[in-house]
Amino acid sequence: MKKTTRRNFLASAAAALPVAAGAAVTPDAVKDNPAVKTCHRATGGKNAHRFPQVIIRDQHGEKAWFYEDLLADKLVLVSFTSVRGEDYYPVLNNLTKVREIINDRIGKVGQDVHMYTVTTDPRRDTPDALRELAEKHGADWRFFTGEPEDIREILASFNARGSLYGLTWIGNEKTGRWTKKPSQLQPLFIAEPVARLATGKHHLPFLVDMHSV
Amino acid sequence: MAKRRDVLKAGAMAAASAPAIFGGAAIPRAAQAQLCRPEGIRSPMTEPDSPPVTPYTTPVYIPPAMSPVDPASLTPPPDPNRHQRFDEFRPVKHYVQRLTEGLWNYHEQLSALNPLGFGSLAWMFNGATPGETLVARYGEPVFIRRYNDLPSTENALIPFGLPYFTTHLHNAHTASESDGFPMDFAGPGEFWDYHYAMLYARNNPREALASLWYHDHMADFTATNVYAGLSAMAIFYDDLDSGDENDRNPHALRLPGTYGKYDNYFILHDVRFDQFGNPSYNIFDTDGHLGDLITVNRKVSPYMEVEPRKYRFRIVDGGPSRFYELAMSDNSEMFVIAGDGNLLEEPVSVTSLVMGPANRQDVIIDFSRYRVGDSVNMVNIMEQVNGQGPTGRRLEGPNRMPVMQFRIKPLEGPDNSRIPDFLRKLPHINLDEVVAEREWVFDHDMGLWTINHDFFDPTKVDASPKQGTAEIWTFRNAGSSWAHPVHVHFEEFQVLEWNGRPPTGVLRSRKDVATLGPNDVARVFYRFDDFLGRYPIHCHNNVHEDNAMMGRWDIVPDNGGHHGGGKWHR
Repeated sequence: MKKTTRRNFLASAAAALPVAAGAAVTPDAVKDNPAVKTCHRATGGKNAHRFPQVIIRDQHGEKAWFYEDLLADKLVLVSFTSVRGEDYYPVLNNLTKVREIINDRIGKVGQDVHMYTVTTDPRRDTPDALRELAEKHGADWRFFTGEPEDIREILASFNARGSLYGLTWIGNEKTGRWTKKPSQLQPLFIAEPVARLATGKHHLPFLVDMHSV
Repeated sequence: MAKRRDVLKAGAMAAASAPAIFGGAAIPRAAQAQLCRPEGIRSPMTEPDSPPVTPYTTPVYIPPAMSPVDPASLTPPPDPNRHQRFDEFRPVKHYVQRLTEGLWNYHEQLSALNPLGFGSLAWMFNGATPGETLVARYGEPVFIRRYNDLPSTENALIPFGLPYFTTHLHNAHTASESDGFPMDFAGPGEFWDYHYAMLYARNNPREALASLWYHDHMADFTATNVYAGLSAMAIFYDDLDSGDENDRNPHALRLPGTYGKYDNYFILHDVRFDQFGNPSYNIFDTDGHLGDLITVNRKVSPYMEVEPRKYRFRIVDGGPSRFYELAMSDNSEMFVIAGDGNLLEEPVSVTSLVMGPANRQDVIIDFSRYRVGDSVNMVNIMEQVNGQGPTGRRLEGPNRMPVMQFRIKPLEGPDNSRIPDFLRKLPHINLDEVVAEREWVFDHDMGLWTINHDFFDPTKVDASPKQGTAEIWTFRNAGSSWAHPVHVHFEEFQVLEWNGRPPTGVLRSRKDVATLGPNDVARVFYRFDDFLGRYPIHCHNNVHEDNAMMGRWDIVPDNGGHHGGGKWHR
């Protein structure tokens, strides 16, 4: 039994089944129930079904499918703030330090590791406002806004509640493994799980060896 | 008896206007993939149900005791310099465990669904979950070498968890470097050595531990790694609690024994399975993870054949997030003899056992009240709908969750075991030894869980008690809707006050998990002795633990400072 064969089989079976089921079975309990909302979920990747199929825009106005273009098959850090929220619960200066550590120790941000900040205030935060916010903090990664309904789906998929949300999610959709860290934690311990979740040449068990003896 | 699943399904069919907020359980599986997450609700009930499984059809798994290896076979040999007090406590028993990924038969109906082979994906110790039971004895130090033979992160088939491990023997009196600190992890291809000195805390037999368990403690991935299978049990015996019901020592308690026969250990994990029969897990829910099937020793609602006589069952809630109230289906009597693995002073008669994650209770059940051919079920009657904690309501009738079934078979010999009136004295509490009081507040902030308003940072030392001193710690749950089973490594505590009142019943015990309900406050007595180093304090809802609800405290040498005499300082 070859590992690759088994893996492929599992992956293809997993990808095929929800589609088939969705096509074959009309969800009657759902169709006539106005209290249940349905929407399109992303497809194709490890955790695709947990994310909405939406298009959002970055601070330069560039559009992207949230899952397909930004998460699928990538090593990512997804953080959350807003122009107003940054006044009350600042995270960007800390994340700028995280980016430095990642660049120094793990891989190039924007190429090997992808950093995104999603606004929690899509009604106010236009791409221009986010560009200004990013430049003010020297943050050269991608900031996203979009239709409030779409952003709300993205926030919900990370369990983000309210207008302030202090978590940075770190995930590798090559393997489907994710973890999360407080965005205000000392930057080393936000960067370290990125190294730990990385695969291939970027994988490191730790950035600072904290083993006893 | 109707199964809970059937009832829920029937409910969904009948009531077209089933409330959408609990849609997950009421909506057909095929519809799940099409649904948006209901807003404002963080609930495992939006997760798909496990495939149908018939309870009480699979025999329970009794893990064998670990078998020793020849220490000469260990290469490299154990390094005494890596362990505190190694020469004082030279190991007399050596064991090797290998952590691997493979298939485990949770239940035939699940195993048959898997295209990979017969079984469900699992991470295991020496090819089994739970791994072999460590059956040890005070005065006989143990050495365990654990190899990480798990696949790399990209090759591991279990899609959650991280294939790194650090094993905590909960809650042995173990030096820090062998205690499974979250940063003492070993990756694929590496090993880690564990030295268990098997000494009573403070050399006091009243400090004996009896029912322990070992489980993974990997930084950020404890909940997922334990859920994947990295958990098992340990039993410590001594002259009093010798595991031999025919013991000729007049001081021996002669509780039902021996291990694997009349003395058994059950670890409970609630697991949710996907359509291929593999465990599934929502890594995006920071409140906690709930399974919809209860496994006992990683068998879904198994059965066990028992003789009409007394049995000792050690039960541990293996988590990650479910609280239990366990009762017999006929509401019959059980005798609790140990809380959190430590013998009580006197047995307590109960009809249900309330347990949070990592709590242990040892009970004696006397099956002589049944006739051969009878059966009786153990059920869970505590309602819980999300990872935050129980709702406070009880499950009734067919909603009670099946845990396991006991089937009475003919008696095979005399029952010489006893339920003694007195078990083990508690160590004396001397408040004059107290040199410090500390408060630990468990709360929620910005989507993560906090202790004293802080997130876990392994470089930050939150408390440094001095070796050889005593302290009073207060655990305060600042949340009004969630529960936190607070666990402190290394030392057992005794409750002084719980919500202002002295402990009674099962709470009058040495403990290592304070299961705090909403707004609960527990004031406890601690002593710190025998070893130095870093230890964690954390919530044992493993999902909260992985979401930053952990702190580090260090035992530091007492450099001759004066203390005691009732003078408290920080």
